[in-house]
Parts: sequence; structure tokens; C-alpha cells
Amino acid sequence: MNKTLSSIIKKEFRHILRDKQTLIIIFLMPVMMLILFGYAINLEMQNIKTAIVDNSKTPQSRDFIEKIISVNFFRIVSVDPDYNNLESLFQMRQANCIVVIPYDFARKLDHQPQTKVQLLIDASDPNAANYINNYLNMVANLYNLDHNDFVIQPLSVEPRLLYNPDMKSAYFFVPGLIAVIILLICALLTSIAIVREKENGTLEQILVSPVKPIHIIIGKVLPYMMIGFLMGLMILVIGHFWFGVPVAGSVVLLNLMMILYVVTGLSFGLLISTITKSQQIAMMATLVVTILPTIMLSGFIFPIASMPLPLQFVSRLIPATHFLEIIRSIMLKGVGISELYKQAGALALISLVLLGVSMKKFSTHLE
Amino acid sequence: MHRVLYLVQKEFRQILREKAFIGIIFVMPFIQIVVLGFAITTDVKNVTLGVVDYDKSSASRRIIDAFDKTSSFIYMYNLESEKAAQKKLDEGLIKVAIIIPENFERDLRSAHAPVVQALIDGVDGNSAGVATAYVSQIARKLQIEWLQDAGVAPQVLSKMHLTQIEPRMLYNASLESKNNIIPGIIAVLLTMITAFLTGMSIVREKEIGTLEQLMVTPIKNYELILGKIIPFIIVAFLLMLVGILAGGLIFGIWVKGSIVLLFALSILFSLSTLGLGIFASTVSKTQQQAMFIAWFFAIFAILLSGFFIPIQNMPDWVQVVTYLNPLRYFIVIIREIYLKGTPLVYLLNETLAMGIFGLVTFTLASLRFHKRLS
Amino acid sequence: MRSNGYAVEVENLTRIFGDFKAVNDISFQVEKGEIFGFLGANGAGKTTTIRMLCGLLLPSSGQATVAGFDIYKEYEKIKQHIGYMSQKFSLYEDLTVRENIEFYGGVYGLSRKEISDRTKELLDYLNLNQQADHLTKSLPVGWKQRLALSTALLHNPPIIFLDEPTSGVDPVSRRNFWLLIYELVEQGKTVFVTTHFMDEAEYCHRLSIMKDGRIEAMGKPRELKIKYSADNLNDVFLKAVQGGAANE
Repeated sequence: MNKTLSSIIKKEFRHILRDKQTLIIIFLMPVMMLILFGYAINLEMQNIKTAIVDNSKTPQSRDFIEKIISVNFFRIVSVDPDYNNLESLFQMRQANCIVVIPYDFARKLDHQPQTKVQLLIDASDPNAANYINNYLNMVANLYNLDHNDFVIQPLSVEPRLLYNPDMKSAYFFVPGLIAVIILLICALLTSIAIVREKENGTLEQILVSPVKPIHIIIGKVLPYMMIGFLMGLMILVIGHFWFGVPVAGSVVLLNLMMILYVVTGLSFGLLISTITKSQQIAMMATLVVTILPTIMLSGFIFPIASMPLPLQFVSRLIPATHFLEIIRSIMLKGVGISELYKQAGALALISLVLLGVSMKKFSTHLE
Repeated sequence: MHRVLYLVQKEFRQILREKAFIGIIFVMPFIQIVVLGFAITTDVKNVTLGVVDYDKSSASRRIIDAFDKTSSFIYMYNLESEKAAQKKLDEGLIKVAIIIPENFERDLRSAHAPVVQALIDGVDGNSAGVATAYVSQIARKLQIEWLQDAGVAPQVLSKMHLTQIEPRMLYNASLESKNNIIPGIIAVLLTMITAFLTGMSIVREKEIGTLEQLMVTPIKNYELILGKIIPFIIVAFLLMLVGILAGGLIFGIWVKGSIVLLFALSILFSLSTLGLGIFASTVSKTQQQAMFIAWFFAIFAILLSGFFIPIQNMPDWVQVVTYLNPLRYFIVIIREIYLKGTPLVYLLNETLAMGIFGLVTFTLASLRFHKRLS
Repeated sequence: MRSNGYAVEVENLTRIFGDFKAVNDISFQVEKGEIFGFLGANGAGKTTTIRMLCGLLLPSSGQATVAGFDIYKEYEKIKQHIGYMSQKFSLYEDLTVRENIEFYGGVYGLSRKEISDRTKELLDYLNLNQQADHLTKSLPVGWKQRLALSTALLHNPPIIFLDEPTSGVDPVSRRNFWLLIYELVEQGKTVFVTTHFMDEAEYCHRLSIMKDGRIEAMGKPRELKIKYSADNLNDVFLKAVQGGAANE
């Protein structure tokens, strides 16, 4: 290795290792985030707060209520609340949904093919509303099967869930969290690295020495790359052993991809650092352009396929999108590079563009 | 109070002079509301679909049509075999594969109840759950259609006595995520701007030495703090106004309840975030440290606020942790006022919790932020 | 200012950080109308002493009064009677010259009229009328220094603390700065200044030389030269500092 380069790298390592607080934040914070969020993120509705208005008060209606209780998703919080004041139940957030059984429930059930049960749902959270609707439909099906001698089914469709048969949220979110955490921390680290030197005036000092811009950039990126990789590895290990997320594919491939991704995150930070003047602005910019988009546009929680088309293109520009596909595919599906070369290529391309632009900005910066 | 005015004036001059700040404070939130308002959706649409049709009959084509017709699925591939379907699933090119067995039509006609398989990519548990529900819905529809076609329907139906759920979605009839998300984004932006900017601006003065200069002037402690937070409260409110206008003009989502109440409670909420910002500035020496601390809190505050993930779904011990999060209360308040027009009477618990939290953090931070150096 | 006694009176003042004694049991008095110099190497305890006297830092033990006010109990009153300028810059570089003056005037509790009068006066005096609406960061360092001092004196305090006010300034600007200090003394103000420039030490009425938190020598420049039988203050400083080391 080039001598000037190695001295830049050494210096950068000293900076990082001497700042204890930064070190703690780099290594402790990701672990805390992973563990807390690994448990916290669960979009499947549970403990649905349910109020029941039983206008019928017959054995049939009581039976129906029994069925609701028996499926374990619903928690009955109120029976026969004031019918004229149902909306206040929602406004006080005492109930997620209200089941209204009509007064002629039993009579209709005996004489008509179809009897309606009204379900009022607080749909301000639409995802929750969907779940509640599906669960109660399931309850109705169970009730129907119990109360009819025969229900003819000319054909049936049998759903089979692949890769994650128990629909465990952790399987989905832990790989996602790894992707999000690596990008956020790597971008933040480098974005302040150069701006700090700019502010201290040490950058000027380095620029007057016979060092090429590329050496400065490599010298900045390499140490952070190692740290970013170590951090990634650490949370990967926790994800696997603590949350039991399988690694169905090749561990070596996964690590190689992680290195590539770390480089992308660092180049992102570098670019921000070369175009901003103060640490304060660099950090603000990094946070604003990384946190929300990475969490929301990458498919981490929200499916990309459901977004409008222009945003689907934007999501392709976000490194986390590609890495999410890679890490989920390797960990859960066990696929190899032949299925992932496109995503890997995209990551490499994004890194190259980011690095190229920052290099150009950088060399012309002090005139 | 005379002195506070000068502090406020100075702060505004500094804010307005920094062009990048204006961008970060006003343009970015606007863009974020627009982008994220469109992006964040837990709806499951455009599920890519592959079909393996071993039967190739009119009955099997009807099944494919039924899936193709809904907006939830996009028909992508007609595949040779189950193996080919598995490969496409591995590559992530399709999320659902329908496999229609051989002799499907014959079995159907002879009442052998053939089984169609639906392979669903379960990596995203939430989307998979919704996709499964869609598949079941389509199956139910097909069953009824087939019964009617076969001519057995009237007799059979008359012997069946089924309950049917009639759902009514309140506050958000079309089940659009953006209704839920826009108020959430405004709350999050308010948190980030107030907590970050106050913390940063104090530490910046510490770094360049002007804070020391202010400390030897006869200015009172509370005046110094007021002089710092008043400008940022004003900025935060302008920002909130930008957010509300953006949400209304672009997404057609306006505040249903009292705007005055919303702003009043937002001030109460800002006490907590400003307090945290000042606190971060007292424990950190450099802007970098302050940023990290504020960032650390922000991440936890956002994810544990109920913004994307309903708190009732979390394990009990995590739910306990969320009670320490002021954003948790504010997210409830802003959503309720925004979407349901809930009056203050029904928000007393949240208001009280948030107020106590705000007073405590703000007082503690102010006490820590003493006019002496360490 | 309370009329009795000294401008600054310090008795057995000590400040400890952890197990490091930054200021170790020092005592001295500063007469009204005097330029009192604190001489010492970096880390000798000069800045810590000044910070305690300005009410920025609590002492670990000992007594002190500034303008007759106790530094433990009456530090808020002290602040109305002192001006302070540190080695770090104390002006907002992203505000204009006029805005800085206006701001500090407001902070010191001057009325609008007083502020505008003082601003005009200051701009004339410092010859900054041309640059009044330029950002402060565009000024040369020497001018910034004089402006910083003037803004720290907007409330017309009787005692002025200067902590290495001229570090990083060219000789001509330094001279101009000291001319300003002399003018202040002529107005009857007391100036307490720390420095490590020997030629500046010559300007002081009385000097104290600090080393490792202690005062090694104190007196008028002339007396010190005689005491240490040295030709100039540079030698006085070296001898005092080395002698202190030999005593330990």
C-alpha cells in the first residue's frame, strides 16, 4: 500500500478510536435498536379492542359472540354500550371496532340464506382495519360451518406460504433493520468526517501536502468500511442467534454483499460531506435524506409494489432497496448470486456514481 | 423581557442568513410530506402473479381471469411447471403463483372438489397475510359463481343459513394509508426540527464561544432559554402550517377538529422536545455529539410512537417503554383531531401525560443549563 | 460598585478539577484604576482564575470579591459591573457589525435610544461606518478584536476582564488595542488582563506571574526587574518560573 495512503488511514483510525462516545454509539446503539425494534415491529393486529352491541339477545347471538371470543384476536372491552354514543367509543380510543348484531338476527338466520352482522371499524389505521375485517370474516365462516349441515365447495384454493410459513414478523423486519441501520450509521459517520476537517482547517493542511484527492477519499472510506462491516456483522449475529432468523443461503456471499453495501453507505455520506460547509448542515442533511426515505421508500415496512410508479423508480435509487432484496433473499430464500447479480450491480453502480461525483467536487473544492 | 426580544431577533437573523437552513426547514418537509404521503402505504396492490396451468381448459382459464381482473394482482407469467414458478418466486419476480392441477375441469364437473394451490412469498409477513386474504376472497367468489352456474344454487342456497359481515369503515372509508400517515409525518417533523435545532444552536454557541460571552452578561437564565426556544417554536409552527397546507392541497386531507386546539397542544408537546434538545446540548461538547444524542432519541421516539406500528401489537415490556415517549401521546392527539375531530375532553389523559412530561423535562433541562460552565 | 476597598480582592482561592489543582491557594488585590496583568504559560491557571472572578465557575475554596460583591452569592450583581472578553471570539460572525452591537446592547439591558446612540458613537470611534452593514466575519482580525471589546463594554462597566485578548493579532493591531485599554483606564476603569506577550506585560501597572496554579511573583514591572536582577521582563519571567520549580 501507498505510504501517504496508509498514514491517512492510520490517522483516521486514531480519530475514531479516540472518541469513546462515538465508538459506543456506533456499536451499542445498533444493538439496542435491533433488539427493541425486533420485538416492537409487528403489523399484525392483536388484542383488538372490541365492543359488542347485542340487540338480538338470543342463544344464536350469544353463540356468535362466543365464536368471536374463541379466536383469540379480539378482546371484548364493552358489551352493549350506549347505542347513540358509539362514536365516542372510537374518539376515546376504547374500541378498535364495534360489532352490532341486529335485533332480528335469530329470526332472519332461520329463514333467510344470508343474515348481516354490522361491523364498525375505526379505519384511521387502514392496515389495522383490514386485519379486523379479515378476522371477523373468519369468525363468520367458522360460525357458518358450525351451523349448517353442509356447505358445498365445488373447488377450493389452498394458500401455501413459502420461506416464512409462520408469517413471523421478525423474519421480515430483522434483515430490514440490518439494512437500515448500516446505511444510516455509515452515511452519518463519513458525512461528518470530511466536514469536520474542513471546519478545523486540517483539510487545507492535507490539501497542500502532495496527496491526491483519491487517496484522501480512500483513506477516509477504508477505516469506516471496516467499522461499518464489523457493526453489520455484529447485528447479523444477534439477528440470527437472538431472533432465530435463519441464514438459508451462503454466509460468505452475504458478507461480501454487506461490504459492498457498507461502501455504498459511506460514499453517500462522502458526497454529502463534500457539498456541505458545516458539520451541522452535513448532519442535518444526512439525517433528512437518509432516515425517512430509507425507512419508508426501501420496502423496509411498506411494499414498493403498492407505491405510485414514479416513486417506484425513486426507490430504485435508494441503496437500501437493493440491499433489502439481497439480504432477505439470501437469509430467507437461500438464493445465490445468479438471482441477485442485478441488485448487486445496482449497488456497485450507485457507489461508483456517488464516489465519482464526490471526487470531482472534492478536487475542485479549495481553489 | 426586553432582553428576550433581542435574543429572539438575533436568532432569527442567524436563521434567515443561513440559506441551507431555510431549505432544510421549509423545503425538505414539503418534499417529505409529498413523497412519503404517496409512498407510505400498507395497502397491498400490484401483487405480481404467475400461473401454472396444467389443465388448460375453459374452467382453468376462468380462474386465471378472476385473478387477472382484480386490481390487486398483476398477471405476469404463464409458467411451464411448479419448478419454474418456484424459480420465479426465488428471484422475487412474482409474489404469488397459482397452480391449477391436471384434470381440473373434469374433477370440477364430477364434483370431486379439485384443489388449486396458491404459493405465496411469505417474506413480508404483512403483505403475505393480505395477499392470502385476497386469494381467499377470490376463491369464495368463484365458489358462489360456480354453484349458480351449475344450476344447483337455488335449492342449495335455500338450505344454507349464513351470517355475513357488513363492514363500515369510519373516518377513512376508502382505507387509504395517507390519511393515517400525513398527520404522523407532521408530528415527526415537528419533533425533529424542535429537538434538533435548539440543541444544535446552543452547542454551536458553546463551540464558537459566544455562549460564554452571554453568560457573563447580566442576562437571566430563563431569559437565555426563552430567547432560544421562542424562535424555534415559531419556526416549528410555520413548519406545521406548511405541513398542514401541503397535506390539504395535495392530498385533500384537512384538519377535521379544532385547529386552535391542535396548535395549543402542539405547543405543549414542543416543551418536551425543546427540553430534550436543551438537555442534549448540556451534556454534549460538540455539535457532533449533540446530533448523535438527538438522533438516538429521534429514532426511538419515532418507531415507538405508534406512527407505523400500533402500540397494542407490541410485547408488554415494549408497551411500558412507550409510555416514556412524548411523541406517543402527540401522535394520538394529532391523529384524533385531524381525522376524527375528537374534542379535548376525550384527549385529557394524553394531554396530561404530555404536559407533565414536558414540564419535567423542560424544568430539568433548564436547571442543568446553568449560567455557569460545568 | 461598592465604594470601599479594592476592585478585586482574592484570598486563598483554589479550584480543583478531579485531582488536578488548576488554581492553588492564590491571594491578591487589584486597585481601582489599575491595569493588572496576569502572566503565565498556557495551563498556568490564568483562564480558570478569570472565569471564577466572572462568575462562570465556582471556586473549590477560598474567598473573592469583585467590585465589592461576593463571587459565591452575588455573581449576578458582579455581571452588571464587569466587561469580559475571552481569547475565543465572542461576536456572531454571521451577524453584521451593527447587528452585533445592537444585540449585545439589548442583552445588557440598554434602551433602544441608548443602543442607537452607542452604536453611532462606537462606529465613529472605531472607524467602522463603512463596514457597519457587512458581516462580522469579513472584518480583519484586529478590527474584530476592538469591536468585540467595545461591545463587551456597552454597559459601561467599571471593571474589565480580558483573557488573552490579543492572541493571533499582528503587532500594529496589538498596539492599537492597548491604546484603547489606556483610554479606558483614563476613564477610571480597572483592567484585569492575562497575556503571554512580554511587551504587553510592560504596559501593565502591576504584574503577577503564575505557574502551575500558584502565583510565583507579583509587583510593578520595574520592581520585578530589580528583584530578579534582570534587564527585561522576559528574563524576569524565566527566572521566576524556574525559581518556582527549584523551590518545590
